[in-house]
Amino acid sequence: MLESERVVESAALGGRATGRLTNPYVRDEFGLETMDLNVGPQHPAMHGLLRLIVELDGETIVRCDPVMGYLHRCQEKIAENRMYPAVIPLTDRLDYFANMHMEHGYCLAVEDLMGLEIPPRADAIRVLMCELMRLASHLPSIGFLMLELGAFTPILYAFRERERIQTIFEAVTGARMMFHYIRIGGVKADLPEDIPQKIWDYVESLEANLDRDFVDLIQGNEIFITRTRGVGKVTQEEAVEMGLTGPPLRSTGVDFDVRLDYPYSWYPNVTFDVITDTQGDAEAAYRVRVGEIRQSIRIVKQVLENLPEGAVMGDVPRRIRPAEGEGFGRVESPRGEFAVHVVSDGSDIPYRVHYRDPSFVNMQFLQEIVPGHYLPDVMPIMGIVDPVSGGWDK
Amino acid sequence: MISTLLEYYNQEPFRFLTAFGAILFLTLNLAAILTMSERKVAGYIQGRFGPNRVWPRGLLQPAADVVKLFTKENLSPSGSDLWIFLAAPIAMFIPAATIWLVVPFAPGLVIADLNIAILFFISITSIGALGVIMAGYGSRSNFSLLGALRGAGQLISYEVPLILSLLGIAILTGSLSLVDVVDAQAGGFWNWYIWFQLPMFVAFYVAGIAEVKRIPFDLPEGESEIVGGFMVEYSGMTWALIQASEFALMGLMSAIGATLFFGGWQPPLAFLDLGTFNWIWFGLKTSLLMFTFLWIRWTLPRLRMDQLMDLGWKVLVPLTILWLFVTAGAVLAFPSFFG
Repeated sequence: MLESERVVESAALGGRATGRLTNPYVRDEFGLETMDLNVGPQHPAMHGLLRLIVELDGETIVRCDPVMGYLHRCQEKIAENRMYPAVIPLTDRLDYFANMHMEHGYCLAVEDLMGLEIPPRADAIRVLMCELMRLASHLPSIGFLMLELGAFTPILYAFRERERIQTIFEAVTGARMMFHYIRIGGVKADLPEDIPQKIWDYVESLEANLDRDFVDLIQGNEIFITRTRGVGKVTQEEAVEMGLTGPPLRSTGVDFDVRLDYPYSWYPNVTFDVITDTQGDAEAAYRVRVGEIRQSIRIVKQVLENLPEGAVMGDVPRRIRPAEGEGFGRVESPRGEFAVHVVSDGSDIPYRVHYRDPSFVNMQFLQEIVPGHYLPDVMPIMGIVDPVSGGWDK
Repeated sequence: MISTLLEYYNQEPFRFLTAFGAILFLTLNLAAILTMSERKVAGYIQGRFGPNRVWPRGLLQPAADVVKLFTKENLSPSGSDLWIFLAAPIAMFIPAATIWLVVPFAPGLVIADLNIAILFFISITSIGALGVIMAGYGSRSNFSLLGALRGAGQLISYEVPLILSLLGIAILTGSLSLVDVVDAQAGGFWNWYIWFQLPMFVAFYVAGIAEVKRIPFDLPEGESEIVGGFMVEYSGMTWALIQASEFALMGLMSAIGATLFFGGWQPPLAFLDLGTFNWIWFGLKTSLLMFTFLWIRWTLPRLRMDQLMDLGWKVLVPLTILWLFVTAGAVLAFPSFFG
């Protein structure tokens, strides 16, 4: 990279992001210069539109600067110009691998603002959908990890499972990805009659086939272990300092889970374990995800067994015009804690909406952890965080 | 008249042209068949059909691919070293095609019965590394350069176990000619070298995958971090030539493996001898080995460069050297048994 380009680059980044590079002409003891490599934003293996400026010394990474903003859609600003219910379809576009959680988080915030009562059946259906969504997100994320390690087949198995879950979603919500199903005060519609049985059958088959299709093929594989064990290792203290949440945090042994620590919705009525691991590396994150898939299956079964009867929509005024104040909602999305802060000025459009997206927060991880690893290790490290570009760019 | 024609035909220039044509025909068709079977095998492994549109049942897909590739523009990056850039695919293709010269297909059916065929195989495969370096250097892309350097390191390192794994057979046969190697394995499947030379075969197979740059060892391509490595800038027919050379080399590794360790065209049992049609046995064994290459390609993840080097130098080289001593010791201790 030319010096002039480098200056422009660093200005765009607001100075050295990591502070690791003190001299633009770093040379090692042999007098060799390092090489800059732009990985992304249009890169076949990158998660969405992320650009990594990677400085290489041979194959070793000296510096890694993630550059975000290639999918920025001004979600928070647009939300300030729309009426409260009209923001929900936008939240679908945040983390497009966990749409239900995004809707849920926003609705919880607005309900907190208005002090609404949610009928129990609506709460149960929300949790049911969110846990199915977690399955539909964790399975492909295992597939992506394997894809980045070079194995192409698991991703297709994972998407086969995701496809089956999407069929269920389509029957329930009418859409495959952008649902607009969870509404302020409840959910859009009750479950179709045959759907609880279908969900039960699907979850049973997934439980039976999870080992055969994923775990047995991946977990014991020697190459998988050598590629992931010790890669992207992070200690508990570092993880907490960086504000990691979700599987990356739990893989270090911290048992933080919004569903248990700040219970919301129907979660107080179900029992499940928080899966933690102590290794804090890519392999541990994979194991945490597999464990969470099993726990999600458990939650789905419990919800289906005790699905309360009644209405699915609470007593919501026709025009949502909350009093002045603030509302806060936090949910455990597959990638970590997703929180929404809504401020009302008494009109029918929000004064301010803020999203705390786990992909965005967990991304700090890259600058700190990636330097010192080899270039091929970037991909399993991305697999730990498993960011979604709709989430980090908002 | 036919005899005069044959006599005429047997003269040196014609023999050369025939051999040339035969090799080219064989290599390109093998590449076409392998692209097809790769996509089909991948499809069935992944629970889908693979290509099934081009008549019949998708089997003419390679023809459609060739038409597509021919009509594509050959792009070269600005500032690339054009001569090296364009020569690299050729430098990769020619070695992959040339080695077919020494492979015995059936009794009496070998283009050139060299008495140094194994040496020829070793030396010609080493040239392949040159093409990778040329491609990476000529492309003037950071990704290509990384891929080329990885390729150079990998191919040169894995030459060593590849060579060592062939030496045991050279000791047993007492000859470097592949025809002699096949003749020495006559009489039934228990005479094949695979039994005694099993560790050598494992080393040969692993090193072979590395030489062909396929999945557990496809670091020079490394599609998830360096997006195709040394061939990232190629398009159209230059890209097709690189692909064809890789597939040809894969077929070749299988053929050499079948010849050295599985008796070449020798039938598994004496009464199954088909005479000249023994090329069927050769084809069968080669195809089975090629299938295992495809199978592994769509099953396993990829190693990292340092792990690859560890495997090559710390596992395969000691293993082959050890078994070389075992083989040599056995031949010295039981000269009557090993003839």
